[in-house]
Parts: sequence; structure tokens; C-alpha cells
Amino acid sequence: MFAYIVRRMFQSVIVLLVVGLVAFSMFRFVGDPIDNMLGQERTQADIDRLRTELGLDQPFVVQYAKFLQGAVQGNFGVSYRQGRPVSTILIERAPATLELAFVSGFLAITLGIALGVFTAIRRQGIAANVIMTVSLIGVSLPTFLIGILLIYIFSVELDLLPSFGRGETVMIGSWSTGFLTASGLKALILPAITLGLYQMTLIMRLVRSEMLEVLRADYVRFARARGLSERVINFRHALKNTLVPVITITGLQLGSIIAFAIITETVFQWPGVGLLFINAIQFVDIPVMAAYLMLISVMFVTINLIVDLLYYAIDPRLRVDARAT
Amino acid sequence: MILRNSAIGLTMLLVGTAQAAEFKWASTTDPQTMDPHAVNSAPVLGFLNNVYEGLVRRGKDMSVEPALAVSWEPIGDGEGWRFKLREGVTFHDGSSFDAQDVLFSYQRASGEAADTRSWFAPVSEVKVVDDYTVDFMTTTPNPLFPSSIANWMIMDQGWTEANDAVVPDKETGNYATINANGTGAFKVTEREPGLKTVLEPFGGWWGDAEHNITRAEFNPIQNPATAVAALLSGDVDMINPVPIQDVARLQQNGDVNVIQGIEARVIMLGFSHDAETLKYTDDAGKPNPFRDARVRKAVAQAVNVDAILATIMRGNAEPASQLVSPAMSGYSGANADRPAFDVEAAKALLAEAGYADGFSFGLKCPNDRYLNDEAVCQAVVGMLAQIGITAELDAMPVRNYWPELREDNYDMYLLGWSPGTFDAEHPVRFLVATPNEEKKLGSWNFGGFSNARVDELLPMIQSELDQAKRQAMLDEVAAIIQDEQVYVPMYVQPLVWGTRSNVELTQRPDNFFLLRWVTVN
Repeated sequence: MFAYIVRRMFQSVIVLLVVGLVAFSMFRFVGDPIDNMLGQERTQADIDRLRTELGLDQPFVVQYAKFLQGAVQGNFGVSYRQGRPVSTILIERAPATLELAFVSGFLAITLGIALGVFTAIRRQGIAANVIMTVSLIGVSLPTFLIGILLIYIFSVELDLLPSFGRGETVMIGSWSTGFLTASGLKALILPAITLGLYQMTLIMRLVRSEMLEVLRADYVRFARARGLSERVINFRHALKNTLVPVITITGLQLGSIIAFAIITETVFQWPGVGLLFINAIQFVDIPVMAAYLMLISVMFVTINLIVDLLYYAIDPRLRVDARAT
Repeated sequence: MILRNSAIGLTMLLVGTAQAAEFKWASTTDPQTMDPHAVNSAPVLGFLNNVYEGLVRRGKDMSVEPALAVSWEPIGDGEGWRFKLREGVTFHDGSSFDAQDVLFSYQRASGEAADTRSWFAPVSEVKVVDDYTVDFMTTTPNPLFPSSIANWMIMDQGWTEANDAVVPDKETGNYATINANGTGAFKVTEREPGLKTVLEPFGGWWGDAEHNITRAEFNPIQNPATAVAALLSGDVDMINPVPIQDVARLQQNGDVNVIQGIEARVIMLGFSHDAETLKYTDDAGKPNPFRDARVRKAVAQAVNVDAILATIMRGNAEPASQLVSPAMSGYSGANADRPAFDVEAAKALLAEAGYADGFSFGLKCPNDRYLNDEAVCQAVVGMLAQIGITAELDAMPVRNYWPELREDNYDMYLLGWSPGTFDAEHPVRFLVATPNEEKKLGSWNFGGFSNARVDELLPMIQSELDQAKRQAMLDEVAAIIQDEQVYVPMYVQPLVWGTRSNVELTQRPDNFFLLRWVTVN
């Protein structure tokens, strides 16, 4: 087990380094930050001076090495656009994204599993069929369209919920939370639905098909023969066995909820790291882009590691294999 | 401290309920800094005009009017300008304003690290005569100097020095990047970069308030559809800009108003003048046809500007004949006609130049810089095809676009130009004068156009004090630019703002939004 973790960690570090290298080799194609930083009355001398100051005249490998040197000391440089340390900005923006991801992840998992089980058990029922049909919308409509649609219905037409932003926030230490104010909670609803809808339908469909499979398995039939109640069969035996693939998918989806909050955050002007990243691309804010990409890859690598470890805990066959080798 | 804050909160609440004039507005870009000398860009200067003030400022009609200076007059035969400063002005932190702050702000704004440096290129020396008199000496007579510094904002020497922000720093930022201390009608009370900025009226302002705002909040909203939704739902009271395609729909909505005007920005086509050969398509390597003025004229006659404005801009823009719009000073009334749209005449010109069979070339275009820029370029491609020349369009984000133009990677390109001084001399200096790094001329003349007479006239225009003589020279330059068809000016870009119907405000052609002219009914 320990050797396994160490090996995985080592692989993770290599993945991170490669991601960084690829990212830095791409930045030159994103564009040139200089024109955004200087006004229209700049001269060629100004351009050259700033480029040298920022180290943009050096090959990307050198820039990458400099970035790594700072990053291992916790220094991600200074944002070209905001003129403030990137780490400060990320810490400011992270709570918004994490809270949004948490709420939509929570919605996606609870509703997804509940509806999945429901549609599997009552698969002939009208309600189950309606849910299945509606869920197609969640899978097939692009996120930005769902977001704009929700804004139109709930903010413009019904005037119930705010159309953008995070509402009032309360600072707890350095963490700004929207959970403690009415306007903060109201502001969460639409983005959370937009962001979680796809994941919810995905989990629901996955749970349903796994569940249908399991319900056909021999041990479920035997359980019925033993006279166990439907409730016990469905939830103790069937559901538990459907969860292994669900955990894999959910784990990876949790990562993508955070990483792909970009679109939802742009539509709702949600002040999280995704919006920050979009701004950074538009401005060619290389330090912010670099730090964000590294952070996201650290997150994916960590999630994968945790998922692998969870397999260990849930699936006894893996433990047996490990002992045998 | 807590007690004091809640007391302020309470008074704010009382004032708020009495007048109910809290105001929220949104725009696509957040001003990247609160430092008035660090970045010379419209979003920054426009925003900071609410907070900081200069010696002079521009009124609702763009005319120059007194601000921190009450009057100004030329010294001698144009050796410089003497400014008499306003007495009794205080900064937001309570310290008083005097000539030392002006000298300090001059040094700060003209230093190596300041992006506003070019405004002070004509200045040789600044002398403090007494506490409320300052002399700006210029190397040559400079009639436009007072109006050219309308966006130069005065900072308090004491505050800036105490907070270690004497030199503007756009690379790593300093105290003045996030905090502000001006003399303007509004003070910044809360600043979260990229999220929101809160302004409140400054009680000690020297002027008479025309607005009824008690608190103003600015939010950047990048997605145009979200901004429109926020306006419609009343979450914000004003948005800038309104997407062109939403104008008609919003006009039919009784809860909102659409305010339209003409921006100072002229959209034009530019050519490669100094390249020997074409660089793109199958004709790459063949002699560059755009070196011939007849070919450039043919392009001008082939582009149907009225059709572009009617369809792509949906009737929201004006055709342009020159590099500046008629609203700018120095506009040449004698050269107000633009080349007529005439396909046959254009074909004849091409044949005369030896291109009866046409040719093909590369057209570079930004896709996120100007309103509907890519669509305009596509229309131009179609129109040029009618006279037998084939343009291969390459549209890209503006962050990739300027580097391409700087490296001369184009045969033809699209450019928009807004004269910072609101005078016709500005585009001549940047777009037409022969590029000269040392004299800081022609820095945006990518095509490398060069005309000895224009180069000769430009310094004379810059130092001529007699308005009539100056205009005669500007007319001559405008005529040369038209004769040579250096650029093909197409139209003046529209300004489209949206407000709630209970909001009254003033829209200025420089796209600056000033809170002191806002009334919420």
C-alpha cells in the first residue's frame, strides 16, 4: 500500500512537470501581453523595455524554469493585469469557485443517486420516464445556454433571483462565504443548477443502468428468495454494489466541476478562479494562467490518487490481488 | 472602530432611504488599476475621471473647461503656459491641494515608468511660481497643450510618498494600484479588482453636485447577454456597451432606454505601403499592388460603406471621410466627401494600374477589438470580390493581432483609431508621419507610408498658434491623405449604452462615463 502511494506520487510529479512545460510552450500562441499593458501612445522602445523587464524575450524553457523556481517557494509571480501577487488573487477567488463546486457537486450526487435509484426501481412508471426524458436536456444542452435560459426565466421574467454575481459575502478569516447571507444563497441557486445539471444527469443515468444490471444479478434473486424486504435488497445489496463505477466517475466529475466552472462563471459573472482564468487568457496574463493550470493539474492528480485509494477501500478484490503479488 | 463603522452604515442607510439613489453600473472591462499614471487606456482613465481631477477637464460637449486650474494663459510668444490653480481644494484624505502637488504629479506622470509620458513630450520644464501658480515651459509653441492634458490627473504628494507609491508600477503594483486619493466628486470606498468597486460622493468636493447618487457600485460583466439580462432585471441601472444586435429589442422595452452616440473612433482599412511584394495567398511574392495609389482608390470605391452600416451596424454608425470624425477639432470641412461607391470606376482604376485581371492578397482583421469587426471584414472581402480582387481573410483575437501587424504580417488590415487629444493632428502623428523611433512619430504607421510634405507640415501644425493657419495646414494634410488614399476610412464607431428608464445621464464621445452627471429619478 505504502509503496503504491509513493509510486503514484512520483508519477504525479512527472505529470505536473510535463503539464507545466506544455503550458509554457503554448503561451506564446495565446498572444502578446505587451499591447494590453501599454497605451496606444507607446513607442517601440517602451515595448522592448517592458518585454525585457517581464523576461518575455527569453526562451520559454527559461521562463518555465523561473516560474518553477518561484513556485516551489510558493511564489507564483505577479499578475500582469492586476499588479498583485497571483497567490493573493487565487486565495481571494478560490472560495467562490469551491463553494459553487461544492453545492453543485452535492446536488449532482444526492439528486443523481436518488433519481437513478428511483428510475431503476420504477422503470415502467410514468414519473421515471418523464425524468429520463427531461434528463436528456441536461446532457445535450450546452452549459452556457442553460445558464442564459435560467437567467432569462428566473431573473428577467420572474424577477426572483439575481442575474449575476455572488451577492453579499461574509469574511471568515480569509475565506469569503456566500452561505451566510440571504442574497449570497439566492445568488448560488442558478449557477449551481447550471454547473451541476450535466453531472447530475450523468450520475443518474449511470446509477440507473448499473442498478438495473445488479438487480438482475443472482445474489439479488437469492436475496428475494430469502424473503428480504425490497427496501433492504434495493439499498443494502443493490445500491452498494452499483457504487464502484459511480465513485470513479464522480471523482473525476468533481474535478471537472471545478475546472470547467469557467463557462458557468463567465455566464453568471461568478467571481471565481474560472472567471479569473478567462480574464487572464484575454489579457495574456501569463503568471495567472500558469498558476491556474498548475493548480488544476495538481487537483486532478490528487483526485485521481484519492479515487484509486477509495477503490482499495471499497473493492475487496483489489486488496486480495495486492496481497497475492 | 466597529462602532464608527456601524454609525457610518446607519447614516448611509438613512440617506439611502431618503433619496433612494443608489446606482449600479456594469461594463465589460474592469479598470486594471486605480493609478492614474500607470496605464493610458480608456477604461482606466474613464473610470478614474470620477475620482481624480486634472488641471483642466472636458465638459459634456468635450470642450475644455477649468478644473483644478481656474484659468490659464500662454507665456510670452508661446514659450509655455501659466496655470492659476484653484484655492481651497482638498483631497479625499483631507490634505490640501497646491502647486507642489502639480509639480509632483508632473514628475510622476512624465517619468520613465509612466504610461502617460507621451503627454509631456513637448514640456521642457515645470516651474512653481507660487502656491497657486505653475508654469509649463514647452520646447516649441504648443497651442494644444492645455487640452492635451485633460486626462492628466493630480495626486497628493504627501499621500503618495507616505504610501511608497512615488513611481507608478504596472508590473508589480503598489499602494496606488488598489487605493485612490483624488480631488474628484467621488471617492473609492471599496475596491475588489475584477469584482466590484464602490464609490461614494466626496463631501468636500469643490464643485456643485449635479447628481443625486449616494452610493455607486461598478461591476464588470464580461458576457454581453448577461449584462443585458442584468439591465432588464434591474440588477444594474446602466450597461456599456449594449450589443448592436440587442438594440432594437431593448428599444421596445419600456423599462430601459438605449442611448446612442458616435464615438471618436474611426474604423479604416490600412495597406502595406513599403513592402515590395505580397505576402499571402498564391500571389505571394508578386509585386505589391497596394503601392499604387490607384489600387488603393479602387479599394475605397469598391467598399459600400452604407451597406455595411445598414446591415452589420444596423444603422448605428456614421460614414467617415477622414481619419477623425467631424466632432474633433481640426476636422477638415473642405475634405468631407468620401469616395463614392462605384464598382465600374473601381474596375477602371484597377485596369489602369495594370490589374485588370485582379489579384489575391491577405487581409488581417481582429475579431474582438471593435464592434462586429470580423463581420465588417467579411463584408469587405465580398465587396472586393466584385471588382475581381480576392482577399483571404485571417481574423484573430486582438492579443495576437498587434504582434502580427508589428511584424508586417499582412497585405491589408483593419484598424480603429481614437484620437487621444480629440484633434486631427493626433492620427497624423501616429498613423501617417514617417515612422521615426527617436522622434516618437508614426508608431502605428504599420504600412510605412511616407510623404515628405506631411512630415514637413506636422511640426508646423503642432506649434502654430494661429487657428486659421493651423487649419489650412491640417486641410492640406487631409487632402494629401485622401489623394494618396493612405487609408480607407469607413465609418465612425457607434456608442451604445443602455440604462433603466428612470436614469438620466450624459454620454460623451470619448466613451467616458461620469457619475457626476447621473440623476436617478
